[in-house]
Amino acid sequence: MSSSRLNHSSTQGLEIDHVSFAYEGQPTLADITLTLPVGEFVSLLGPSGCGKSTLLKLLAGLLSPAQGQLSWQGRKIDGPSLERGVVFQDYSLFPWMTLEENLSLALAKAHPETERKWRRQLTAEYLELVGLADASGKYPFELSGGMQQRGAIARALAVGSPVLLMDEPFGALDPINRTRLQDLLLSVWSSTSPKKTVIFVTHDVDEALYLSDRIVMLGASPGRVIAELDVPFARPRQRRALVNSAEFQQLRRQIDERFQQDVLSRIEETSLVGAEAEGI
Amino acid sequence: MSTTLKSAPVAVPAGPATTPSSRTRTGLAWLKHKEGWFFLLGLVLIWQLVASLHFSGSYLFPSPLTTLKALRESLPELLRGTGASFLILGPGFLLAAAAGIIWGLIVGTVPALQRLFTPFSRLASPTPPTIYIPYAIALLPSFRSAAGFVVFIGAFWPIFLNTTAGALALPQRYRDNARILGLHGHEYLRRIVFPAALPHIFSGLSVGLVFSFIMLTVAELFGASAGLGRFIQLYADYADYPRMAAGILYTGAVVLLTTELLERIKRRALFWVR
Repeated sequence: MSSSRLNHSSTQGLEIDHVSFAYEGQPTLADITLTLPVGEFVSLLGPSGCGKSTLLKLLAGLLSPAQGQLSWQGRKIDGPSLERGVVFQDYSLFPWMTLEENLSLALAKAHPETERKWRRQLTAEYLELVGLADASGKYPFELSGGMQQRGAIARALAVGSPVLLMDEPFGALDPINRTRLQDLLLSVWSSTSPKKTVIFVTHDVDEALYLSDRIVMLGASPGRVIAELDVPFARPRQRRALVNSAEFQQLRRQIDERFQQDVLSRIEETSLVGAEAEGI
Repeated sequence: MSTTLKSAPVAVPAGPATTPSSRTRTGLAWLKHKEGWFFLLGLVLIWQLVASLHFSGSYLFPSPLTTLKALRESLPELLRGTGASFLILGPGFLLAAAAGIIWGLIVGTVPALQRLFTPFSRLASPTPPTIYIPYAIALLPSFRSAAGFVVFIGAFWPIFLNTTAGALALPQRYRDNARILGLHGHEYLRRIVFPAALPHIFSGLSVGLVFSFIMLTVAELFGASAGLGRFIQLYADYADYPRMAAGILYTGAVVLLTTELLERIKRRALFWVR
């Protein structure tokens, strides 16, 4: 039954089909249904506790849904795969390996048939791409947070996964490094072809607006989709001009209002439930 | 609260006042952080004092100088004894390290094996390994194999238990990362679990090393023909207390040097731990 439906949607990229998830009996995601097309840059935007990181882990295959199903190009996601590279907020690199060792380990797993020499060369290329050519022999503890995240991005890119899952990758960085890495990510993403499908988890509205083609807004307790919106800005985007534009400001306001509205309706709901309970 | 606020400005004039005291401190700077050495010196002085007293049984307390002389005289014998001891300790400890680390990594990673093995290790690990000595001597063909066996047992449990704990404490991020990269089996153990567990493994090795010295010297008291424990037993039997005391001091120094060596290896291996 499910296979015929999956065949039907085989070109649709990432499919999230009525997915629910509970953590220790507490529902964290309730009935999420989303289609994330191939080659799109989509942000999962929401406050803490909305389950956006959980949703990313489900997409990565690190967690299994309680109900529903996730698939990539028609194939069910039932475990992690190098098809879907992940960049975490920190600790993406193993601290006992140099940057180069981290990358070449990933490459050796992704392309076991290749020669060591080729992998070394590819490692060097990708480190160069993220501006870490000189740091290949360094260990993560010798690198700043921003450099570590560059390394994690280089690793995910070098592996060549068509899907890139990013869990607040710039959340721990200072504003300057954050904007630099956002620009780096955009330039790398738009220069690769075919374009990678990027799912980017963030709680930063500006970041989501600047980076994405589409924003999925998630509300908290339990996590659910409260809105989806297309980001209409043409690429390449000019950060300053864009952020100061009336359109950007308007979208930003719209998002803030939608979140506020959600919070208010939640409060109303709980107080109604409370009133009912008192009545009984 | 107001008193603490008031006391704050009072503390300020104390700033310049520290200058003369810090000058005297620089004069005695060599004294700083040497407290431990002074304590040792004090102990030697007390030792000398006790040894210089005349009381019945004072022959049991050879003076530091007499002991030092005995140490110099018996140094060749002690060195030979060290060799004999290490021929037992080395293989026993290294085998225990290999078995404890490999088995600990596996048990700490595979929950089913952990459930299988935990009741046994709960029972066996707290059993004082010294009680195996008579049986080991009866069971095994030579004293060396018997002593090697009890050294192995003594060192195995702390190494195994610490390694298991280290493997169990593997942060979720590393597990996730390894799963994403498709690492499993021995590659996962070797490249991820082992290095991540190294801090735990080294604490196990330190405890295991001290344990194996204890096991070794106790075993040697039982029936060795050479070795450090044997040396001390022999001269105690002959009532040659200066030599016996020299043997104790020497053994202490050997244990200290060996653990220090392990500490050096640890610091090199764990350079990435901040």
